[in-house]
Amino acid sequence: MINSTLYLREMKKSWKMLLIFAAVLTMYVSIIIAMYDPEMMKTLDTFNQIMPEMMAAFGMNGMATSLLGFMVSYLYGFILLIFPMVFSILRGNGLIAKYTENGAIWVLTAAPVRRMKIVCTQLAVLLSGVFLLMIYTTVLELIVAGSQFPDEFEVKQLLALNSGLISLQMFIAGICFLSSCIFSDTKYSMAFGAGIPAFMYVLKMLANVGEKTEAAKYFSFFTLFDGNALIAGETSAIVCTIVLFAGAVVMYVLGCVIFCRKDMAL
Amino acid sequence: MSVIEISHLTRDYGSGKGIFDVTFQVNEGEVFGFLGPNGAGKTTTIRHLIGFIRNKAGQCTINGLDCWRDSAKIHQSLGYIPGEISFFDDMTGTDYLKFVSKYKGIAESGRQKELIERFELNPEGKIRKMSKGMKQKLGIVTAFMNDPDILILDEPTSGLDPLMQNRFIELIADEKNKGKTVLLSSHIFEEVERTCDRIGIIKDGKLVTVDSVETLRERHMRTYTVSLNTPEEASEFAKDFGGTASGVNVTVASKLSLESIFMDYYGGGHNDQ
Repeated sequence: MINSTLYLREMKKSWKMLLIFAAVLTMYVSIIIAMYDPEMMKTLDTFNQIMPEMMAAFGMNGMATSLLGFMVSYLYGFILLIFPMVFSILRGNGLIAKYTENGAIWVLTAAPVRRMKIVCTQLAVLLSGVFLLMIYTTVLELIVAGSQFPDEFEVKQLLALNSGLISLQMFIAGICFLSSCIFSDTKYSMAFGAGIPAFMYVLKMLANVGEKTEAAKYFSFFTLFDGNALIAGETSAIVCTIVLFAGAVVMYVLGCVIFCRKDMAL
Repeated sequence: MSVIEISHLTRDYGSGKGIFDVTFQVNEGEVFGFLGPNGAGKTTTIRHLIGFIRNKAGQCTINGLDCWRDSAKIHQSLGYIPGEISFFDDMTGTDYLKFVSKYKGIAESGRQKELIERFELNPEGKIRKMSKGMKQKLGIVTAFMNDPDILILDEPTSGLDPLMQNRFIELIADEKNKGKTVLLSSHIFEEVERTCDRIGIIKDGKLVTVDSVETLRERHMRTYTVSLNTPEEASEFAKDFGGTASGVNVTVASKLSLESIFMDYYGGGHNDQ
């Protein structure tokens, strides 16, 4: 289904970016988990009292009581959403739309390789990057949290939380991939691939701020990822995860089909 | 037997742009010249053949295979040089050639090295920093390195210096001797005149004529008869200008260059438009 030569080349291009993102995630994940400390909680509570809207906008609602709840508030509201998303935006655009725009796509299409194989390879590269980041994050969390607070969390709950996150990131990658397949212009590929997720995130921030703007959450796919509900093992959270996953798959299929049928006007 | 077949191919981009009812064949072992000014529809036609554009009206096949549906299969024995060439800029030329060989599954042969030497290509260094001519050479090496049976070349000598243009013409002659089928688009008359068996001229998206180089020349040959004062003068004149003398009259023929023939079809315009 994929061309290994192309896959290796593109993974080589992802590699540096993955390292940088992994480094940033390492820093945040270890610092924030280390911050889980009853004493520190008081400080954060103070922040919440001083500027509750600001903290809430980033999903830090200070409701955290357990370690995982604390992580949901301070890691899964911004850092673990945004960084993999930025990776998807950059790579999603670079894997297809960039080549169509600068004309280098002929190198791939004027060859005894089916278009379906080309586009599947590029998708595999994008998803490999997302999965690597997610797996790395999970392992990192298990190590950092496991070594510092082995009795404060359940591995099963963390895995449930992260499978929800993976579905969400796959969905975001789907948006980036689809817009990269549709548009032959990076200008538009970026406008939609980055614009839609960013706009949705802003809506989520708005919804977090207060009751007046809460309705905004119905217009953002980020609402489908509810960390606390995933930890609690609520059925609604599982359904949401499945919806995100299904949506992602639909966008992958659509992107592939569009790429295969598209005129390459170089 | 025709290898490349285009029949009634139409792609209307609106406001008179596109190609309209283009029909021609390229036979096995033939070098076919595809001549026309910029924007006449050469590249659009070629993009159909390469499988970049889906045929909306009309047919185009290579070896009986549909150029859109069976593109991957056709490319197993097809070499292509695009009109506007761009590569993976971040690679060096050497890496690029390695990548393409592996990507297409071409077995290692001496052919690539031979082509690199023939065109004095220096593949070291990033493609981004290569000159236009160097990139063109890289494109030529890529197209010919797996020794394909069919070659579709879109303005292949653009950016090459005259010496390299000559080497390219020699390369085409060699390929022709090996029985390869070549479709060569160009707006350089000399290279088409020197290499091609038949020529198709396209104007405003419509194929104006398809004929052999000889027929095209003959059709546009003009003869003049001049009378001179003495039969001696006449025979001298005939010798100098390659005419035939009879008495004091000399008949001379002027073979128009392809360029002038070409201009005839374009209503005597002087430029590319």
